[in-house]
Amino acid sequence: MSKLTDKNRKLLSGTAGSSRRTVIKGLGAAAGAAAIGLHAPFVHSADKTIRFLNGEPSAESVRAMRFAAAQYEKETGTKVQMDTVPAGKAYEKVQASIKSGRPYDIATLIFVGDVLILAGEGKLVPINDIIKKYDWGPRILFPMKGDNFWYPYDYNLCWINCRQDLYDAKGLKAPGDWAGMMSNLGALQGDGDGQLPYGIVHPIGSNGATNYTAFGYMWANGVHLFDDNWKVVLDSPEIAAKAGEYLDFMAEMTKYMPPAPAQAGWPNLVGDFQTDKISHTPGTGRLIDTMNVRMPDRAANVGAFLFPSKGGESFAVNHGYDGWVVLDTAMSDEALRFLEWFSDEHLINFLHTSPVHYQPTRLDIYEDPRWQAHPALEQFKRITDMQKQVLSDKKIIIRSIDTEGPEPDVRAGKVFRSYALPEMLQNKILKGMSNADCITTAANKIREIAAG
Amino acid sequence: MHGERALYCIFGVATALTALLILYPAYHALELSFQDLDSFISEPVWIGFGNYIDVLNMPEFWNALGRGLIFSGTTITLQVVLGIGFAMLLDTTIPAKPLVRGIAVLPYLLPTIIVALTFQWMLDSTVGVFTQGARLFGYSYIPWGENGGVAMTVVILLSVWIWTPFVTLAFLAGLQAVPGELYEAARVDGASAWQRFWHITLPQLRPVLTVVLLLRAIWMFNKFDIIWLTTRGGPLQATEHLPILAYRKTFELYEVGQGAAVSAISFVILSAFILVYFYFFPLDEKE
Amino acid sequence: MNDITLGRRAALYGLVCVTVLYSFFPIYWMLISSFRDDRSLYANFSLLPGPFSLTNYEVLLELTDYPTWFTNSILVAFGTVCITLVISVLIAYSVTRLQFRGKMVVVGTMLYAYMFPPLLLAIPLFSLFVKLGLADTRLSLMISHCTITLPLGVWLLWGFFKQIPMDVEEAAMVDGCSRLRAFILVVLPLTLPGVLTVAIFSFLLSWTDYTFALVMIGTDSLKTLPAGLDTMVGSYELRWGELMAGSTLIALPLLVMFMFLSRYFIHGLSAGALKG
Repeated sequence: MSKLTDKNRKLLSGTAGSSRRTVIKGLGAAAGAAAIGLHAPFVHSADKTIRFLNGEPSAESVRAMRFAAAQYEKETGTKVQMDTVPAGKAYEKVQASIKSGRPYDIATLIFVGDVLILAGEGKLVPINDIIKKYDWGPRILFPMKGDNFWYPYDYNLCWINCRQDLYDAKGLKAPGDWAGMMSNLGALQGDGDGQLPYGIVHPIGSNGATNYTAFGYMWANGVHLFDDNWKVVLDSPEIAAKAGEYLDFMAEMTKYMPPAPAQAGWPNLVGDFQTDKISHTPGTGRLIDTMNVRMPDRAANVGAFLFPSKGGESFAVNHGYDGWVVLDTAMSDEALRFLEWFSDEHLINFLHTSPVHYQPTRLDIYEDPRWQAHPALEQFKRITDMQKQVLSDKKIIIRSIDTEGPEPDVRAGKVFRSYALPEMLQNKILKGMSNADCITTAANKIREIAAG
Repeated sequence: MHGERALYCIFGVATALTALLILYPAYHALELSFQDLDSFISEPVWIGFGNYIDVLNMPEFWNALGRGLIFSGTTITLQVVLGIGFAMLLDTTIPAKPLVRGIAVLPYLLPTIIVALTFQWMLDSTVGVFTQGARLFGYSYIPWGENGGVAMTVVILLSVWIWTPFVTLAFLAGLQAVPGELYEAARVDGASAWQRFWHITLPQLRPVLTVVLLLRAIWMFNKFDIIWLTTRGGPLQATEHLPILAYRKTFELYEVGQGAAVSAISFVILSAFILVYFYFFPLDEKE
Repeated sequence: MNDITLGRRAALYGLVCVTVLYSFFPIYWMLISSFRDDRSLYANFSLLPGPFSLTNYEVLLELTDYPTWFTNSILVAFGTVCITLVISVLIAYSVTRLQFRGKMVVVGTMLYAYMFPPLLLAIPLFSLFVKLGLADTRLSLMISHCTITLPLGVWLLWGFFKQIPMDVEEAAMVDGCSRLRAFILVVLPLTLPGVLTVAIFSFLLSWTDYTFALVMIGTDSLKTLPAGLDTMVGSYELRWGELMAGSTLIALPLLVMFMFLSRYFIHGLSAGALKG
């Protein structure tokens, strides 16, 4: 164990002390100083260890988590070991750790369904006392039978990023409805001045990118999948009509997309936008944060708007949410203490590692001067204002496939991972099936999944 | 004979290791298939052959089995045919032989994830190099994300690209051992190049062919990563074969028991295949 | 006559060119893409290399802990090779020299490792390592890689040892050598090409493994290259140029190593491997 500890330390100080350009400069320097500072005197103190599975692999986020861990060890003598996997692999990793009899004490999960499974098997401990301390935004806590097992740390919302410079040059406004969206896409597509080859990329293949970025318009248009009793209503006359409008809209929008949207994925969403191929891309604040590091002059040109409904009556964002759970282990009490300490002392530092992207879930953070102090939040005020508006404006819909239904449930997670909705898009766009057939096929598949 | 005891000891240890590292996990996987499980950590409920009945009643299963047979059948055939071809070519007197041989083996060195990424980039629908090529022939892009047939073709060709060198190498090795006199004799008898290949080379290479076919068949029937990383079984399940179905059930759809049952069934199919195969092509003829 | 050989020669050269192009072009494309900046990647299409840019590598190396992961990959791969060689040589040798019923069953059973999805095997193996106190160590990763490399090693070496007549070592043993000495001094040198081949195959399997690395290793500082870079590839902000740079960083050590070792590799197989 002590060997591991030493290795970690070496790595920590090595990372911080190297000549690499630190991305978030202030924090990086702080972490470096602290890491070097604690290098010598704390070798003896790690007799208790909390194992933390971090799901945010970006270098700055890992650095912030390790910095917090080092601070905690300094203050309490309890060591926190930070392991990192991509968030999408966290559930497999957690299962393997439990199965082996050596579970993580705290883990990142990105699906309500995963949390429910673990909670249902009695593998998690409630974190009600921590949750109670704060004031939370809408639709972010997913209590299960009255207990909170889940500490959400960001909203991870998906909206549409656009080229504000081109919008300004042409005097365009953020579209308020689908017709407006089409005309903006059309205005910016072409080989003229201030025009780009294509308008937007929307992945439609059976993958996470599609599930996350393609359905905002549909939520805005008033579609939901289940009624209050988990009956599938996607193909009920009223909802099917709205879903049909959405399918027509997506099919029409393909004329503004690069060819082959079924092949598109994350590299296209980000790369095509950054290299002047498209004027719009569905995505998150992460796009802005990374551009701000790599091409700051161009980051300033990014605008954003919400997914509109057909007629512009309502707007939506697609929900992403990430959070932590505390597992039922010998170290649970210690883990709860750490989580509480972290959430008071270090959460804001962590959120600052991708400041626009990590939209706080706790309303008190928005008022916290420590959080407000990050320059990017002021610099991209029009985007952070939009984020805040999402939380305060009751008319804005926050939905996602995996949180559909009257209460948190595994069924919604299964629908997400069955790709029933991306397939609905594929049937429409690739196979040219009628709206009714596309919707019925999807609804039946969802029924089958929800039943099984 | 002295040393026998030591050999038996070694063999015993080897058997124990095999049991621990291979049989134990395999047994565990089989056990899961008889249980009703949402996840690996759920309380197992023994349900006998329930999962098997469910799985065998699913049309997805039979479709996936069919696609798996097409995928593995085509890739193995192409790998073997191309592999023999390359081996014959690399065995002749060609310029820069060591270099050419080395290059022909390179694809086998790359991790699958890299091949999947590189080919996705080459197939990118606007700036991919293959897309640029397709435009010369009047196609605007290669619809591997849109058309199931094209998707299957792409994953097959990718598999052939990666794993043919394994066959090439094995055959190249085998060719070195074919006695030159056999060819001389045949030439004297006036046999054509094709006859020489058919009556001398192939029979001589039969032992190599037997092992290579077996290993490739097992590997290709269970090949998961190249398809998962390229198409994820899409579009619309067009490339979803048994390993993908098993993975989706186990790790995405909270049906660990059913996923394990799919794996177990494919294990049974493979084992049956191997038994039949050994019957027709015994490996240990001499002993 | 001359014309025919000339024609044949031209055809042969043509085929060689096609083979080289077929095998090398995707790798070439990966390499040159990784050294281009966004503008030339997305706008100015050219089959030739350049313009040369290191941007992708700078971004990637800043985001990752490449040196640590590289070291781990090397350690794990070498460890795997050593364990595989010792054990598969012993098993293959004893299998060829012992005559009893049921040995085929044991050797055949080893192939089970290839018949289940690796992830399904990795989870129980991980539990086993936890019980043995080996969890989250490089050693546990080496051992799990051996479940894949051992069957291959045994099957390949089996073919080699079968080629060597019993008389060779028996002669040595008559001269007063122990079986061990006879094996080490007489049999092993004869099968050295085969041993090298197994070493290279094992190295490749270990170097490129992702599934076992994901399950077995938790600690960031113990990750291997494929698992480590996946943490980057898995995050969505990377673009094609950076992905190609990441791919090159994994592949390059293999390509370099292969340039030095290919002679042995090909020779090993040519010397009669797989004559099962």
